Amino acid sequence: MGVTLRYPFVSIEAPPEYRGVPHIDPELCIGCGACVNACPPDALMRIDDLKNGTREIVLDIGRCIRCARCEEVCPTGAVKMTGRFEVASLDRRDHVEVVRLRLVRCEACGEYTDYTERQVVKALQILPEEEYDAEEIKAYSRICRRCRRKLSALGAIEASRRFAP
Amino acid sequence: MRSVWVFHLDTGACNGCEIELFDALTPYYDAERFGVKLVGSPRHAHAVLATGPLTRQSYHAAKEVIKAMPPKPRIIIAIGTCACSGGIFYNGYPIHRRPEDGRKGSEYPRRGGIDELVRDLRDEGEPVGPVMYIPGCPPRPEEILYGIALLLGLVEKRVRPEEHEAAGLEVGRPPIDERLRLTLRERLRHVIGHFDADRVLEDFMGLVSRAKDEEELHRLVEDYRSRKDERLGACMELIETEYLRWKRGGGERS
Repeated sequence: MGVTLRYPFVSIEAPPEYRGVPHIDPELCIGCGACVNACPPDALMRIDDLKNGTREIVLDIGRCIRCARCEEVCPTGAVKMTGRFEVASLDRRDHVEVVRLRLVRCEACGEYTDYTERQVVKALQILPEEEYDAEEIKAYSRICRRCRRKLSALGAIEASRRFAP
Repeated sequence: MRSVWVFHLDTGACNGCEIELFDALTPYYDAERFGVKLVGSPRHAHAVLATGPLTRQSYHAAKEVIKAMPPKPRIIIAIGTCACSGGIFYNGYPIHRRPEDGRKGSEYPRRGGIDELVRDLRDEGEPVGPVMYIPGCPPRPEEILYGIALLLGLVEKRVRPEEHEAAGLEVGRPPIDERLRLTLRERLRHVIGHFDADRVLEDFMGLVSRAKDEEELHRLVEDYRSRKDERLGACMELIETEYLRWKRGGGERS
């Protein structure tokens, strides 16, 4: 056998810094979809189910070109390239990875919004509390865009009445 | 099946997969150990090694090739992400797609590649054997060997569909302010790129959680600079400066 690598019968490690298939850490993923926007071959998808209030982040490693753009843009470090490369399969369904997250339900109208519970938690982590009214922001984050706009308009009308009755 | 004779079918690949494929046939990787033999005519082949995203031009030739093969076993080995699902070229104008598949949509597993032809052939009543998908862009020679060994039953399958319910609300809190962490990350990304930036930032957060005061942090950073290479050391110094500026200025207003 001389020079030949005895490969499938011995296990080998990928070289350091090798870009293998990516993997989504479901503990860290907030479902923001930054990776979906960055993915050049659309291997990552964001599928919202507004009826049941779930968001699916789907990764198909059979479409992935391993460019690591998702790893670069992920704000929480949930997507990481792994050293794994032994991903051949007879069934394409083996290549799919799904992370299911919960969407925020609007407290005013009861419909689901287009952002997840975890996104709200993360956004509140980033906001500097001393510069904003944290309580007001927290209350507003539980309300969908349409209701928020309605509230702001009503507030403006109310305020203008005070000055010009 | 003991040994597969293969015919190489290029359906418009960028030649990255070809380079890896012929690497797999060299004495170092030696796919001929498993009885894989490259043959010159599809009439002699058990399997086709299909590479490429299946262009419109190559569609008809590829169809002829597969029809010319003996009806059994007619194995298709899809090598590379393009052959598996269209890859980076998935929505290009020269790529053959079945009309109902379209180019947009959110179905998964993603469609495209040699699958489109295989389904067309199955619709026409042609017998087509199993399809072995070996994703990778391009796949390493080991990956190709692994796929062929999996086809021959020499190794176990290592992947399975993964589904996770991310129900918890705990998103993790780094030892430094999250806003500051993201700022430093962006700053570093412009200096050394995301790969090293993430590593340096992780090391820095480790140092911050170890250090009790600024002097000790500075000593740890100096120690880090003496151990690591110059690029990483310089970046470490940069984010230390930014970190201290933030700390002393009381946030972003400084």
